[in-house]
Amino acid sequence: MLPAYEELVAWLPELLAGLTISLQVAALSLLFGMPLGLLLALGVIARSRILKTVSLVLVEIGRGAPALVLLQFIYFGLPATGLTLGSFTAAVVALAWNTGAYTSEIIRASLQSIPRGQRDAAEAIGLTGVDELRYVLLPQALRVALPPLLGFSILIFQGTSLCFTIALPELVSRAYEIGSGTFRYFPVLLAAGCLYAAVSVPAAILVGHVEKRAGRYAER
Amino acid sequence: MDGAVLYLADPPQSSQDRSNGGIMMEQGSNGTVIRLRALSKHFGAHTVLDAIDLDVRPGEVLAIIGPSGSGKSTLLRCINYLERPDGGTITIGPTTIDASMPVERAELSKLRRRVGMVFQSFNLFPHMTVLRNVSIAQERVLGRSRAEAEERAMQLLSRVGLADKAGQHPGRCSGGQQQRIAIARALALDPEVMLFDEPTSALDPELGLEVLAVMRELADSGMTMIVVTHEMGFAENVSDTVMMMADGDIVEKGSSNQVMRQPQQERTKRFLRAVHDR
Repeated sequence: MLPAYEELVAWLPELLAGLTISLQVAALSLLFGMPLGLLLALGVIARSRILKTVSLVLVEIGRGAPALVLLQFIYFGLPATGLTLGSFTAAVVALAWNTGAYTSEIIRASLQSIPRGQRDAAEAIGLTGVDELRYVLLPQALRVALPPLLGFSILIFQGTSLCFTIALPELVSRAYEIGSGTFRYFPVLLAAGCLYAAVSVPAAILVGHVEKRAGRYAER
Repeated sequence: MDGAVLYLADPPQSSQDRSNGGIMMEQGSNGTVIRLRALSKHFGAHTVLDAIDLDVRPGEVLAIIGPSGSGKSTLLRCINYLERPDGGTITIGPTTIDASMPVERAELSKLRRRVGMVFQSFNLFPHMTVLRNVSIAQERVLGRSRAEAEERAMQLLSRVGLADKAGQHPGRCSGGQQQRIAIARALALDPEVMLFDEPTSALDPELGLEVLAVMRELADSGMTMIVVTHEMGFAENVSDTVMMMADGDIVEKGSSNQVMRQPQQERTKRFLRAVHDR
């Protein structure tokens, strides 16, 4: 059942290369997805009808459709409209969309959790709408949103495993490839699982730490 | 700090030449800082403000008293447009806003920088230091440099007796201290008028006292103030004018002596009796 030491040594370079791609996809998805989430959150609470509608549609599709379906749609579906993306790009686009949709809800909820008095005060001292967001609301909201955002980041990292369905050579794909060559599916998937855990578990502990500190303002 | 001391030492001045933090006041055509005409506000079918007319002279300290739900706070919040009135006009200095017309946020910002506001729940920005709370609007709204804004902020903090708190976050300060910081924050824009919305209602009596002391000093320095309050001592002894409101209407308005000691209206008498009987 367990992989032998020699097997592990033989597989590890391949698996680590896969892990690197998984991490890259996750990092880029978050890098593009979280700012998108911020924009969508602002769009959803905007007064403009058009902005609100467009944002809502993007959020609802991004949240409503399983990440797997988004992936398939962008990789296999978009070429029908003349837009063909490589599997790496398609993976980043799909997961960034997914990230944007989910994080926008996290950020929106955080923004709306800021007491009404903060807006009153910001407006009363004459701040413009942009300054009110930038200096008063967002710094407080992002502090509230930080733990759930980090938690979501771990989910997205794990979600990159879905990309094996669009032939992206990430961790699960590599494990499957090795499995199909050696018929040692279970041991190699176990090894891959341990690699996911090696990233996710320390990250989760870190998130727990941040959670304890979040919302507590620097005190001197 | 010289500036602060000078400013503090300014005796109450006549309405003609009163300056405000070094900035000459612009006045409305007939010597009013605030002029409200037919200001109205409804929440659904409920009339919160029923065509309020009000003039406030430069240097006047107006206390607004009355039972909860009488529209006092709404009136205050309408003056700087935190609450959008449904009709009427608001004139502050040379700026007039017609509530029946749509207003741009930039236009509102111009109105709001002439008006300082202090809230019942302080509403300090918890993620900023005390100093930043007082300097941010100077930088972003008045365009002052960081150094200039912080110098002025320090002056104001020492004026309210809290210069030593500059580097701390508001969460570490007592309620009374927070409210004094909020007063400094409002003063930072060199407003022509200060609005106080039940500034001591969230404080225990002792902490309320230190806030009232700052307000009294402010009144003595000649600041125009509108104070919604349940502090009858303040209404009687510090304010020049008292206005009694009930059901969205002005019941009675007059000199503090007159309204507090010889109220003319039955509604005012009833309210004052209730307050004194407690």
